[in-house]
Amino acid sequence: MDLWQLLLTLALAGSSDAFSGSEDSSKEPKFTKCRSPERETFSCHWTDAVHHGSKSLGPIQLFYTRRNIQEWTQEWKECPDYVSAGENSCYFNSSFTSIWIPYCIKLTSNGGTVDEKCFSVDEIVQPDPPIALNWTLLNVSLTGIHADIQVRWEAPPNADIQKGWMVLEYELQYKEVNETKWKMMDPVLSTSVPVYSLKVDKEYEVRVRSKQRNSGNYGEFSEVLYVTLPQMNQFTCEEDFYFPWLLIIIFGIFGLTVMLFVFLFSKQQRIKMLILPPVPVPKIKGIDPDLLKEGKLEEVNTILAIHDSYKPEFHSDDSWVEFIELDIDEPDEKNEGSDTDRLLSSDHQKSHSNLGVKDGDSGRTSCYEPDILETDFNANDIHEGTSEVAQPQRLKGETDLLCLDQKNQNKSPYHDACPATQQPSVIQAEKNKPQPLPTDGAESTHQAAHIQLSNPSSLANIDFYAQVSDITPAGSVVLSPGQKNKAGMSQCDMHLEMVSLCQENFIMDNAYFCEADAKKCIPVAPHIKVESHTEPSFNQEDIYITTESLTTTAGRPGTTEHIPGSEMPVPDYTSIHIVQSPQGLILNATALPLPDKEFLSSCGYVSTDQLNKIMP
Amino acid sequence: MNIKGSPWKAGSLLLLLVSNLLLCQNVAPLPVCPGGAARCQVTLRDLFDRAVVLSHYIHNLSSEMFSEFDKRYTHGRGFITRTINSCHTSSLPTPEDKEQAQQINQKDFLSLIVSILRSWNEPLYHLVTEVRGMQETPEAILSKAVEIEEQTKRLLEGMELIVSQVHPETKENEIYPVWSGLPSLQMADEESRLSAYYNLLHCLRRDSHKIDNYLKLLKCRIIHNNNC
Repeated sequence: MDLWQLLLTLALAGSSDAFSGSEDSSKEPKFTKCRSPERETFSCHWTDAVHHGSKSLGPIQLFYTRRNIQEWTQEWKECPDYVSAGENSCYFNSSFTSIWIPYCIKLTSNGGTVDEKCFSVDEIVQPDPPIALNWTLLNVSLTGIHADIQVRWEAPPNADIQKGWMVLEYELQYKEVNETKWKMMDPVLSTSVPVYSLKVDKEYEVRVRSKQRNSGNYGEFSEVLYVTLPQMNQFTCEEDFYFPWLLIIIFGIFGLTVMLFVFLFSKQQRIKMLILPPVPVPKIKGIDPDLLKEGKLEEVNTILAIHDSYKPEFHSDDSWVEFIELDIDEPDEKNEGSDTDRLLSSDHQKSHSNLGVKDGDSGRTSCYEPDILETDFNANDIHEGTSEVAQPQRLKGETDLLCLDQKNQNKSPYHDACPATQQPSVIQAEKNKPQPLPTDGAESTHQAAHIQLSNPSSLANIDFYAQVSDITPAGSVVLSPGQKNKAGMSQCDMHLEMVSLCQENFIMDNAYFCEADAKKCIPVAPHIKVESHTEPSFNQEDIYITTESLTTTAGRPGTTEHIPGSEMPVPDYTSIHIVQSPQGLILNATALPLPDKEFLSSCGYVSTDQLNKIMP
Repeated sequence: MNIKGSPWKAGSLLLLLVSNLLLCQNVAPLPVCPGGAARCQVTLRDLFDRAVVLSHYIHNLSSEMFSEFDKRYTHGRGFITRTINSCHTSSLPTPEDKEQAQQINQKDFLSLIVSILRSWNEPLYHLVTEVRGMQETPEAILSKAVEIEEQTKRLLEGMELIVSQVHPETKENEIYPVWSGLPSLQMADEESRLSAYYNLLHCLRRDSHKIDNYLKLLKCRIIHNNNC
């Protein structure tokens, strides 16, 4: 039972609340709007009351009062006209309208004030919309795409503009038919305004609204005016040219990128050059000067090796150092100016051993004439047994890196022997290695070898370069046996042999051959010779030409000395008389009756052309 | 006649002439158009145009000043219902609607305008003084008050010129309502003081609007013959 009572009470309370709420929620009449369209009359509107409750509201009344001149009377008067302005409205005609006098109105229902409002008429002025909108064409652009129009209208008729009672300002809005947003223009005081830049092929909507100039609010919009511009031109080109900014930007960036890369790559070379300065080009093509610098003679040997007989048994640098040390140990050789001298003075064999020593770059230029000179002297010494004399001259020759007097060389009795001891003008690009002239020794050794064929040492037919196979305790150098073969080959033989030589030489792809051989080969096989001359000589690898063969050939045309077993190829090394970069070499030209002394005087490799000159 | 006549030119010339009038009081007031209207450089139209511009400007300033004052001091406090004291110019028979404005004659109309303008000289002066002397001087209100005072003087001078042109025979009527609201502006009670300021500014706004409206009516009536 208690529960039931509680529930019932709650229900009643809720219902009562609902009832009261419904009554309270009934909308009371409120003023919605008071408006004066022309500043001569005004009207006020209110909402209709919604009655839900049982309690019925009385008729709604509006009372107004206005402040008199001197005092604020609280006398409320009822609305003079409930009808003219429509339902739930009160209309005040001109007799009740005073401009600069404040009004207060109140809405009553059953004697109770439901709403109150105070205002002055100027505050509620809202003019009527303008009428009679029309437009005229002002002009059309040259392209016929855009046009300007002048829109005219008239003031609302109830607004007394002529007497100046109202001063209105107007706001025009326009848009394309299919657009949603209106474009607004600034307020104007006149009743016409130009509208610029309308597209000819589009249809526009125009509307105008007015407002009192100093007070009040904007009135309603006028009727929409449709503007359809006539197409003047039959062909209307698309004026909307959108500059292809995007394309331009893309291409611009692309071009700049390309330029940047080109610049970087080009600069890279330069930067590379700046960082790593290029090594001077070797004078001898095909020979890496770095190898000779580093003294990796084995590698150089491999490069230079063109003969099978050539046995790169050359010692490593250590042997060379060892060799030097030996020199130092010999007190007799202290007076020697160079290791080469020491070598040569002490023992021919020693000097012979020099043959095997590669002279990477003994500081000599391409001219090997000093060596030749020394060799001459050395040969003489050898012959005379006074090798000592040869030493200073050798020295002299060594120091004179430039070409010595060729005449001397020509005069030198090298005819007897292939002065294989050509100056090591087979110079690499390195001039800065004034190494002693082992070549001198080699030369002398070579000569000695040549002369002393029986010499078990490798003096026989000494190439300019010979490989040192061993060094005797006495200090003499044992040349590699291969030299013998080479030595045998170094001599330019008779015609046949020359021919064979030529053939072989040219057949073989090695780089060395005697210029004399070549020369001799010419008459035998001029074509071949010439060709082979050019090819082997002036291949980049064909740097070395056996001096021996040259001198032997040139000097002793009638020599009977035969190179035993001239199957062997021409010695690998030959002093180069002239180096004329970069075309070719010229061998020791002492034996060669060079028609053109130019070759002799100039140092360098003989060029192909020169060689061609030499050999008809 | 200079149809296009720039208001600035008219105003400057007006000012020059008025200053001459004020400075050289010994000399008889120099008429604007000694040789007649035809020879006037400052035409009546220009004078009216300039007067309308000034009155419009003064009314705008008054409205803004009132709005600022109300927003700052008295908003939502129902002061409008408390304005017991009406404006000091209420005694003047000013037309309250269009019919009354149309019924009043031109000469009286002009005299009325001049009287209103004259009656506001003193209140504006005191307004500026009192606002300037306030504890926290509202700079916006003060600047506007100063500007209104200055422009009202100019408008008065222009109106006197117009009157001299339109009705040269009119004697200068110095009768105008006197303002006696100064004590109320200086009351110690803030509420009363605020009410006094509110009333004064409200009246100024109304009277400036009246002057503006009257001048526009007169302009259309005199210059454009009721066909603005």
